Amino acid sequence: MKRILADVTAFGRQYLRSRVGTFFALAFPVILILLFGAIFSSSGTPKVPLAVQDLDSTFASHGFVQALNNTTLITYQAIPTNVNFQDYMRAHSINVALQIPAGFQAALIQAEMGNASAKVNVTLAGDRTQSSFGIVYSAVAAVATAFNLKVANATEVVSVDESQLTVRQFGYIDFFLPGIIGFTVLTTPLFGMTSICAEYRTRRFFKLLATTKLSKAEWLAAKVVFYVLLLFLSVAIMMLVGVVVFGMQAALTPLAVLLIIAGTFEFTSLGMVLGIFVRDPGTGEALANAIGFPMMFLAGSFFPIDAMPPFLRTLARGLPLTYINEGLRATMVFGNDGTALTYLLITLGFAVVFFVVGARGLSWKSK
Amino acid sequence: MKGVVSPGATNVDGKDSRGRGDRKLHGTARCRAARDVGVGEHVIEVRGLVKRYPDITAVDGIDFDVNRGEVFSLLGPNGAGKTTTVEILEGLRDPTAGEARVLGEDVRSGYRRIRERVGVLPQDFEPFDRLRPREAVAYWAHLFDHAVSDRDVANIIETVGLTDRASTFALNLSGGEKRRLGIAMALVGQPELLFLDEPTTGLDPGARRELWKLIGDLKRKGRTILLTTHYLDEAEQLADDVAILNHGKIVAHGSPSALISQFGGGTTIVLAGARRGGYEALSSRGIAAELHGIDVLVHVPMASQVRPLLAKLASIEVPLTEIYTKRSTLEDVFLKLVGARMEEGVLAA
Repeated sequence: MKRILADVTAFGRQYLRSRVGTFFALAFPVILILLFGAIFSSSGTPKVPLAVQDLDSTFASHGFVQALNNTTLITYQAIPTNVNFQDYMRAHSINVALQIPAGFQAALIQAEMGNASAKVNVTLAGDRTQSSFGIVYSAVAAVATAFNLKVANATEVVSVDESQLTVRQFGYIDFFLPGIIGFTVLTTPLFGMTSICAEYRTRRFFKLLATTKLSKAEWLAAKVVFYVLLLFLSVAIMMLVGVVVFGMQAALTPLAVLLIIAGTFEFTSLGMVLGIFVRDPGTGEALANAIGFPMMFLAGSFFPIDAMPPFLRTLARGLPLTYINEGLRATMVFGNDGTALTYLLITLGFAVVFFVVGARGLSWKSK
Repeated sequence: MKGVVSPGATNVDGKDSRGRGDRKLHGTARCRAARDVGVGEHVIEVRGLVKRYPDITAVDGIDFDVNRGEVFSLLGPNGAGKTTTVEILEGLRDPTAGEARVLGEDVRSGYRRIRERVGVLPQDFEPFDRLRPREAVAYWAHLFDHAVSDRDVANIIETVGLTDRASTFALNLSGGEKRRLGIAMALVGQPELLFLDEPTTGLDPGARRELWKLIGDLKRKGRTILLTTHYLDEAEQLADDVAILNHGKIVAHGSPSALISQFGGGTTIVLAGARRGGYEALSSRGIAAELHGIDVLVHVPMASQVRPLLAKLASIEVPLTEIYTKRSTLEDVFLKLVGARMEEGVLAA
């Protein structure tokens, strides 16, 4: 343990004395938040595609869909009324869809006429683990509430058969900040470790360390500890900027903290795995860029995965960063801790595999 | 006897290592507890050590011992196998064949225990740029589980003469200061044995001399040091025992003075500026001489012959600028044994 702490201290000193490292770990994410926040904050939450099957096709049901459109949260697309709702979703890879049943308008009229037992359920179907589901749910629930208040005189006529999500007024920053935290969890340790492995190999630091009692696992653990501390500092600054500058609602939950730790563990270890193949700083940089850049865009750091074409959505499901981004949004924005916990476990699984491969594969000794 | 040498190598004590019979380490050496290695005993024992790569045999069956308290030098050109040998002894490479024990521990199985008791300055050592010497020394001590106080760190830094630079980022140290820092890091655990792999390569003459002084001080304090170098004067200046390595084999082994005495050709009398006229004058009187540029050289194999020959030369009328004697050096030994001079680690015709 003392060896790990000694390495954390020595490495931390060197890292923080390097202006480049400090800039990318602490200042760069804040710059991204300020830039993207300023550009997109006026446009609200990014739009999520919502497919609607209107089986009622009446003035009231059209009004409901129009109201959804007016939320600016969704982009509407119609599902034909003569097809099976679920089959159509599967066939067209639709993540979130709404079904308005026949008799929607009739129930509203009954309620207006004072029939207290008049009820109608709209069905929101989709993958609840996706952040887009939460966004759509909040929009549908808000419109249903508005209908109940204005059309049906505060009697709950329209209800959505989902109940666990708390509806908040989300801004773009609430969606964006978890993505930026995920982005930082990816880039800081992954790029840092790949570059460190290249430098340590070319400058023979690995060979030097191999003459001490420090093991590779201890060395890697020290890097994980340092990057976790660094990322907490970075996240604290990001949260502060998000709240102070953009009035962000999202909160740092215990599961978000665990996801940040697990993600840092994961990408520090992945950096060491890449370090196995790195022989010089040039190849280190190229390898980190080849892995890191596609991942940061495909894993939903900057925009929802659901907005991507189906094949990219499938690809995104195979990327480790996806589970950190989606897990952070699930817990920080939608309060969906069940999903976040699942994604935390997936992230830990990736992390353990990368750690074992990295610690075993990276050789400090000469052939 | 300074040590066992490779088969075929020349030992200045005149004994062929083949004649010593068993090339394996003796049972007593094998079983000797590491901590029991005492004064005068071998801290390093190497027998039939081989390191083979697909395209080259880097170390080709070498044998040697290093005694406690001595400076042992592996001397040879680049690619001779010096660093490979040292890295095997440090546990950083696995040998292909043969045996090597350091402080009584087999290098294959006991390298973790060996690391706790040795200090290493690797070839081309570079410090961590953004650590100050005092931070680097403290960090290194912790990696060996040594509790060091600020005072201990200051003492180590003082030992290597970096007190005035203790708070300077390593990035800003000179080449010689960086190597001193490397030696300081190697000294943190009060090691019984120091490996210094080409500690002065690439340094300017002034920095080299300063490091020689430091290594000399460490030697006087009783440290056992295995020094690799391709500087012949460095080996001659610092080493108690020298093994000349070429193409992975030890070609000669012994103390510098013994090697010089046996292979150096004795003393040379130099008639500076005597030119061809001087050479012919000496030859006509039956004195074997050699024209070397404008100088005439007379080799004297035995020290007892120097004075009478000087007297004889003084009686011959030869125009010259000065006359002096030159003792043979390891350079002469190397030239004779390897057949080439060595400049900055490269063999020259």
